[in-house]
Amino acid sequence: MAYDDLRGFLSTLEKEGQLLRITEEVLPEPDLAAAANAAGRIGEGAPALWFDNVKGFTDARIALNVHGSWANHALALGLPKHTPVKEQVEEFARRWDAFPVAPERREDAPWRENTQEGDDVDLFSVLPLFRLNDGDGGFYLDKAAVVSRDPDDPGHFGKQNVGTYRLQVIGKNRLAIQPVPVHDIALHLRAAEEKGEDLPIAITLGNDPVMAIVAGMPMGYDQSEYEMAGALRGAPAPIATAPLTGFDVPWGSEVVIEGVIESRKRQIEGPFGEFTGHYSGGRRMPVVRIDRVSYRTNPVFESLYLGMPWTECDYLVGPNTCVPLLKQLRAEFPEVQAVNAMYTHGLLAVISTRKRYGGFAKAVAMRAMTTPHGLGYITTVIVVDEDVDPFDLPQVMWAMSSKVNPADDVVVLPNLSVVELAPAAQPAGLTSKMIIDATTPVHPDTRGNFSTPTKDLPEAKDWAARLQRLLSEARG
Amino acid sequence: MTDCCPRCAHESVSTLYSSPVPGVWDVVQCARCLYTWRTSEPDRRTRRAAYPQAFRLTEEDLANAAEVPAVPPLRTDGPPAAARGPELS
Repeated sequence: MAYDDLRGFLSTLEKEGQLLRITEEVLPEPDLAAAANAAGRIGEGAPALWFDNVKGFTDARIALNVHGSWANHALALGLPKHTPVKEQVEEFARRWDAFPVAPERREDAPWRENTQEGDDVDLFSVLPLFRLNDGDGGFYLDKAAVVSRDPDDPGHFGKQNVGTYRLQVIGKNRLAIQPVPVHDIALHLRAAEEKGEDLPIAITLGNDPVMAIVAGMPMGYDQSEYEMAGALRGAPAPIATAPLTGFDVPWGSEVVIEGVIESRKRQIEGPFGEFTGHYSGGRRMPVVRIDRVSYRTNPVFESLYLGMPWTECDYLVGPNTCVPLLKQLRAEFPEVQAVNAMYTHGLLAVISTRKRYGGFAKAVAMRAMTTPHGLGYITTVIVVDEDVDPFDLPQVMWAMSSKVNPADDVVVLPNLSVVELAPAAQPAGLTSKMIIDATTPVHPDTRGNFSTPTKDLPEAKDWAARLQRLLSEARG
Repeated sequence: MTDCCPRCAHESVSTLYSSPVPGVWDVVQCARCLYTWRTSEPDRRTRRAAYPQAFRLTEEDLANAAEVPAVPPLRTDGPPAAARGPELS
């Protein structure tokens, strides 16, 4: 089932018991963020949270933790809520093959219902803004899908980027934005600033659940997020034309903010508690001037808590980081079986592969580090055999503990690129990277004593089914 | 009501927004470091004396803050921007 807007998805979450309405009055701070933080600490199947009774506000509707469990992530993809994570990733990869699916343009976008323009723009009057973490410099929009175009090729639909970037509210009509240099919007901004021009921008909030997934997905520069959303939804993504910029934006957004990143201007931003589990900021960043806000009547403000993993952010960008890496690796190395890059947006990845010959596993690891996402993220790669499930961490630890001879199987490569947010980098943006080859050596690599591995007994599979049946009968 | 910025101690702060229910809280912003807070937040976010050392900023910190991304040189003629590799969304 494809959702055209956030409201449709929230309705399904509620029917599935995956949305919790908090009806008693709460404080904007610290309650909203603390509740979303706690959702990541109460175990499997945490629900989305809905607040509409927030002290001091008369008209607040806030949705948090919408993607914040595997159950919710499965429902976002239209899968049964108990779908195991590995199956979710496999289904994600299967749907990827339908890319590109052309979007469907619609003209009756519900966010056309209300407008603020020019001097009348006041974001505080539209959204119940609030702080997430203690050290944050202010209130943030952290789950927006931000649309920009290549100033040198503005008509190219694929080069139109839809990405998620942190946005600090620094005035009623001003935002600070973090365009990380390895991300597409930084290329757009650079091209505009080299010409001394402002970069038009459309910031969309409260989107259907697949838009939020593709906006945080590491795709090729000229690949359209809308065409990927269509593939993942199994139906064309509904889009509409934003009135001021003319950009293509999601039809179902709750709020569409339009304006420009002002050319060649920087202003203090942050800090902000980031996906790395550490704050970053106190730097001078580009500034957005908001010229128009369009919004649905009774808009829902969707936000995301992030801090020490796991939080909603990790569910949101888990599978969408694994699948591009899997596809990019398999394009050259069909031996690759699975990729688990769910840790800190892929700062660490576990890859299972068959071996073509001795040394092959290390080559796969190096290739992972040189994929588009790998250049900015993958710092540690653990490579395991094809019969080890990279999503089963006890199996991965078994491979590491039994297959690794550190002198030859651990490789450290100095001075490679990484996002500046990576806390261990030194200096920021530069790090060493490590390969841990936990595969069984194959010819001509004859190291170790691996000739007689124990395998599950041929009869164990039948016995597993038998035990499950007996257990189920015993439990009535 | 705080009379200076909890983070940088600057004395010029202004109200950005007031609660729709009158008198419950205000959102206040520092004119220098742009720190923004709601007056109903805990002391650790709103009172200079209780504000954590780790997050405090000085005038020097603000003056030395790195530009991210750096403003590129102005291009006066033809060739396109820096070569573009595959990038992340």
